[in-house]
Amino acid sequence: MRRTAELLAVLLVASCSAAPGATGDDLEPVTFMAGFVPQANLPFVGAYVAKDLGYFADEGLDVDIQHSAGGGEHLQLLAAGEVDVTTQDAAVLLERRVDPGLPLVSIGLIGQKGQQAFVALADSGIESPADWAGHTVGFKGTPPPDVFAILDAVGIDEADVELVNVGFDPRVLTEGRIDVYPVFKSNEPDTIRGWGFELNIWDAADFGVPTLGLAYVATEEAVSQRPEMLESFMAAAIRGIEYARDNPAEAIDIVMGYVGEDADADHQRFILDTELIDAQSTLTDEHGIGWQTEFQWNELQEFLIRYEAMAIGGEVERAFTTEFLTGELR
Amino acid sequence: MRSRTMAGSILLLTVLAAWEIWVRASGTPVYLVPAPSDVASVLGEDASGLLPAALVTLGEALGGLVLGGSVGLLMAVVVTFWGHLEQGVMSLALLIKSTPIIAVAPILTIWMGFGTGPKVIVTALLTFFPVLINSLEGFRSVDPAIADWFHSIDAPSRQYFTRARWPSARPFLFAALKVAAPLAMIGAVVAEWMGASSGLGRQMWLAYTNLDMPSLFAAVLVLTLLSAAVYRGVVVMERRTVHWA
Repeated sequence: MRRTAELLAVLLVASCSAAPGATGDDLEPVTFMAGFVPQANLPFVGAYVAKDLGYFADEGLDVDIQHSAGGGEHLQLLAAGEVDVTTQDAAVLLERRVDPGLPLVSIGLIGQKGQQAFVALADSGIESPADWAGHTVGFKGTPPPDVFAILDAVGIDEADVELVNVGFDPRVLTEGRIDVYPVFKSNEPDTIRGWGFELNIWDAADFGVPTLGLAYVATEEAVSQRPEMLESFMAAAIRGIEYARDNPAEAIDIVMGYVGEDADADHQRFILDTELIDAQSTLTDEHGIGWQTEFQWNELQEFLIRYEAMAIGGEVERAFTTEFLTGELR
Repeated sequence: MRSRTMAGSILLLTVLAAWEIWVRASGTPVYLVPAPSDVASVLGEDASGLLPAALVTLGEALGGLVLGGSVGLLMAVVVTFWGHLEQGVMSLALLIKSTPIIAVAPILTIWMGFGTGPKVIVTALLTFFPVLINSLEGFRSVDPAIADWFHSIDAPSRQYFTRARWPSARPFLFAALKVAAPLAMIGAVVAEWMGASSGLGRQMWLAYTNLDMPSLFAAVLVLTLLSAAVYRGVVVMERRTVHWA
């Protein structure tokens, strides 16, 4: 009887001396689905680091990290309640809120600039968008409004370029099938340079286009019914991003555990470094990583409407919240 | 025959009605599962967009089917005449057949550009194999009595092929085409899905990435109807050319 009591006392002490917050059954289960396959996109890295270094557990969360193939299923699963938090490009978030009416809310805007840019081979003679006239300009799936905004900015008529759906293989650029190729800034430029090609790069943001990048996203229902969970999630994820900013080499070691050891660590580092730069702005300098304002979202929506990526606008003020970035709920 | 058609129609309408009621009653959002009436609306409103897309896909599918079928048939003929080549030809065919199309399609685009060429080739890669296998089997399935008769007159191999092997292979060839024709439609759509400026595959890709499920289902329905029409076309051709079919 006495031994049993001692054993129970030991177990009680052991359970109390575990990580702050709680362990095992006490942790609140949360499913996070990254909006694409495993790689060092900054919002993904924030979650990877927070999971592996125990930041989520510190916040009382048991986060299951899943990955989408990138076809939009992560938004369907979020809306269906199968996923609690995901990631999505800001422009697509606005578009999907209006059509088909998904109740998406950005709870932290990590990419303060858009993800896409356009490149040409450095020896192609295309030195600026003003030289795009008479050339083929690629797009991935549908022509992004960025391309029309850049053409407007340099005074080129849309009819002067040939827009071509080029898919997702950058070899069409190096093999001369396309003159100007759309890239994800943090990804393909490094791959193409790795093949021995130098590039000229044009970012729509450099032409005054109000682009935004990836955000952490939850549903309106989760925002109203599980605010403490979302604040805890954001606190841990942003702590993970700050760790990656201050310790990029260690963060990449953690990332490699998700992308697989066969992946190119240097390439993952390029993705991380590029997105760390785009995660910073005067706003984040003042308020911290992930901050967002109605002005930013309004500008983006007006831009999308102007270039017909959206037929009508939605209620921008409901598309984002800074409620979970201030720590006031805890 | 008429009662069978009616029974089929009633079954189809029942399924559609149950689907409609389930979606409405459960409040399932349209971005997860659309009701049949939502799909019908898209078909009505976007017919002018779906029809040209369907014609593009149909053209690519038929082009690929003709190319793939011709190559498959030619390989079967080669193996029939030169039996010692069988192992090499079949190994090559299996190699091509086993290669994931998703890995090949981007390379074809790099080689051939963004036009219809890569789509036709992808479709041909999917369709040649059933034609090869069935044709070969058909060439080898000559009625023993007919084969004995040709051997007894010491008929030249060319005459034996045209008078005995070819008639024997025709039902097998049409059986292969019945499999390959719907496969050709899928092949064209898969190729378009990887990157195209027109076609049903592109329509589906756009609808999928925009979470526009009614448009996606409408495009799938059009594809299904086209596949059925192509299949029916093969059946009609078979009836006209194979007298006992």
